[in-house]
Amino acid sequence: MTTEAETVPVLDVRGEICPYPMLRTNKELDEVHPGILALDVLTDHPPALSTIPPEAMKRGYGCEIDEIRDGEWMIRLFKDA
Amino acid sequence: MYDAPVTASAATTPRSAPAREGLHLAVLALPVLAYLVALGMSAQMATFLAVGIAVGFTLQRARLCFVSAFRDLFLLHQGRTLRGLIVGLAIGCIGFAMVMSTIVGDLSTGRMPNDAHILPLGIATVLGGFLFGIGMVLAGGCVSGSLYRMGEGYLASWVAMGGVLIGLYTLNRTWNWWWEHSIESSPRIWLPATLGYTGALVLSAVLLALAYVGTLWWERRQGPTPNITIRRAQPAPPASVGDDIRVALRGVFRREWSPMTGAVVLSGLNILLFIHYRPLGVVGEISRWANDLGSLAGAPVGIQKGLDTLAGCAAALAEGASWFTDGFMLNIGLVLGSFTAAVLAREFRLRIPHQPQRYVQSLAGGLVMGYGAGLGLGCTLGAFYSAIPSLALNGWVYAIAMATGALVGSQLIRRLA
Repeated sequence: MTTEAETVPVLDVRGEICPYPMLRTNKELDEVHPGILALDVLTDHPPALSTIPPEAMKRGYGCEIDEIRDGEWMIRLFKDA
Repeated sequence: MYDAPVTASAATTPRSAPAREGLHLAVLALPVLAYLVALGMSAQMATFLAVGIAVGFTLQRARLCFVSAFRDLFLLHQGRTLRGLIVGLAIGCIGFAMVMSTIVGDLSTGRMPNDAHILPLGIATVLGGFLFGIGMVLAGGCVSGSLYRMGEGYLASWVAMGGVLIGLYTLNRTWNWWWEHSIESSPRIWLPATLGYTGALVLSAVLLALAYVGTLWWERRQGPTPNITIRRAQPAPPASVGDDIRVALRGVFRREWSPMTGAVVLSGLNILLFIHYRPLGVVGEISRWANDLGSLAGAPVGIQKGLDTLAGCAAALAEGASWFTDGFMLNIGLVLGSFTAAVLAREFRLRIPHQPQRYVQSLAGGLVMGYGAGLGLGCTLGAFYSAIPSLALNGWVYAIAMATGALVGSQLIRRLA
């Protein structure tokens, strides 16, 4: 995966049940791509919308959530360089 | 600044809006049909099915997850769900006290209300609750939680339920040992017997208030909770009575309920069911399924001692030989109600975990949870959410043991992500 400005990597955690979407997002931010500037997390698990953002915010990320279709959300995490 | 590429929009299904509306509304025929079939059997079957559907609907709409109530407290310092449950329990205590006082009006007789979840309190309660707490965190759902997620389309929850069946079967095969060594001689402690109804209610209220304040304190240690809004297509502001009705319907069927709303409605349903029958509990029936499947496989469990002396889920296990019992209707109703709610909320979808180890975790978590539920004489519903309102001490002990198990499970799960 690249971290160029125009292609934001997508972490697909669809099918996963709590707390795995949040734990996998944390792992992505902490270990797989430490210091990454933007990450999109694709989830179909509504409770993840209240677990992923606070954890990402603790790591200094801003967060926006888009409902991209019925029952699917893209959690967009980003921070300044 | 950050530019948002909509990466997955290509996956949107190109079906026309009216056709989709029709499909979504057609799902309402399912609970209605099931209700009519149950009504053909008996009014009691129909009542249990209807309550089951209402419970499933409520759990789905509020996303009321007993696991997250405890796990998120430890993992994230989030206590919103737990605080909702505490308020629901308080309502449950008042309602149950009123129901129980019509069954046992004169406490000096030493009688206890038969169907209330006043269960033997001993090492089995502690160990059962503890195992249940670990298992539910691993499985990502408690027993009632897995039932409603099955209705929402989570394959992992179906796998977890398979684990619960195996766990319950294993416990039932070792039941007589537990019965003879612990459960039979364990006391049943019903607070009104010594404190009166008023005293028992006051004590419960104080404990619940302490738990509520303790949760708030624990959340505050983490600092302020960030407020995140979800961007969705905004409908036009209401301009007619028709629009107002649509907004009201959206509040019930599309927008998520708060955990507190869900918990209070759940307690209301629990009280209603107890007025005429018994409090909510789902494990006894699943335990019966486990034994029936064992018999089918040529390995029957045999006689389990003492079941007829117990209330709650263990008693339901002895309910009968037919597949179609109260408990069956309740559990099937729960899955059906959650399915209906999820489809109407546009949240139903088949969710298939991509990682193979997830299936192992769900099965193993379910197994541990099933064994714990059998040993602790119930799950989060029967041994906790129906037991504390029964003003029975076992409910509180089970809750503490389960919370401790959830804490251990939360530590374990960090290593498994």
